[in-house]
Amino acid sequence: MFLSPSFRQGVKAAVPVWIAFIPSSFALGMAAKGYGLTWEEIVLMSALVYAGPAQYAVVEPLAAGKPALQILIATVLMNLRFLPMSAAMAPYFRRVKRTRLLWASHFISASSFVVPYIRFQSEEKNGGKADRAENSEAHLDFFLGVGATAYCVWVAGTALGYWAALKMPSGYEEGLRFILPAYFASVIAMDLREWLAAGVCAVAFLLAIPAAMWNQDWGWMIAAIAVATIGWRIEEWRRTD
Amino acid sequence: MAPDRLTIVAGMALVSYALRVVPQLLLTGWSFPASWDRYLRLLAYALVAGIVSVALYLTAGNFDAAAAPRRTLALAIAVLVTVKTRSAVTGMLTGTVAVLLLSWYASG
Repeated sequence: MFLSPSFRQGVKAAVPVWIAFIPSSFALGMAAKGYGLTWEEIVLMSALVYAGPAQYAVVEPLAAGKPALQILIATVLMNLRFLPMSAAMAPYFRRVKRTRLLWASHFISASSFVVPYIRFQSEEKNGGKADRAENSEAHLDFFLGVGATAYCVWVAGTALGYWAALKMPSGYEEGLRFILPAYFASVIAMDLREWLAAGVCAVAFLLAIPAAMWNQDWGWMIAAIAVATIGWRIEEWRRTD
Repeated sequence: MAPDRLTIVAGMALVSYALRVVPQLLLTGWSFPASWDRYLRLLAYALVAGIVSVALYLTAGNFDAAAAPRRTLALAIAVLVTVKTRSAVTGMLTGTVAVLLLSWYASG
């Protein structure tokens, strides 16, 4: 598999994903140190969970000893996007052996979904739908070339970020605490294209604090779900209008 | 490692893996409605915005009034630099430098 042309093509296509993963995983490692998690905890989390936004969302509650249920629900909500991504990829892996599929599924992430999916769709345009099933093994090799290498970068980046934070002299704690919120706010700012989504972010941001003061464990999450639901209803109403 | 944290990380791993693998095994050929995709996108934005706010302003469950102004200013700088440069990393680094300078200035 690792020497197959499809895997190597996947590795080449993954370079932009690695570049995106290096700063975010590094920031996660640094923030984990800032919040008081151990090196083993954050590296194990990167290796086993491998989901940036979810990991980011639970660093503070995990370090603060918040209820496990809150952390698990936050993880599920942040990772619900894996359902449509994985379902969209499934037809391209239809004839892959189940054991390969079982371990390869761990490498599905937003970035390692987009690169192969766009490629498979463009292949399909050129070769017809028959390609989907016939090329299942090659598709999975390509996906693994992207996903498995990006995964290694993510785990190594987390470990290195934590190590770098250990080497920082005292007086930089404020920076360590700030680096991850700043990164995610910046990623959202880059990603936002519509006023409605920007409004949802702004209202969720503003409501999070009073909601968290009302209920320390669940407040911010309930507020975020409510704001997203209202924003979504407005969007659907505008589409049908 | 504290065993309770290990258990929680294992639980996170389990639910994350289930969300990845279930469609591969059970939902082949299934496509989710476009409105569902739109809801998940907004939900992810709202959750990230909420946790950014909590991570910035709350310390041990209390509003950190002394640090809030400098963190707000640094966050605004990070977002503005990101929008101007189209680079999240540049925005993050600029904001982090700003918050460090402001905190050092505040502590005299």
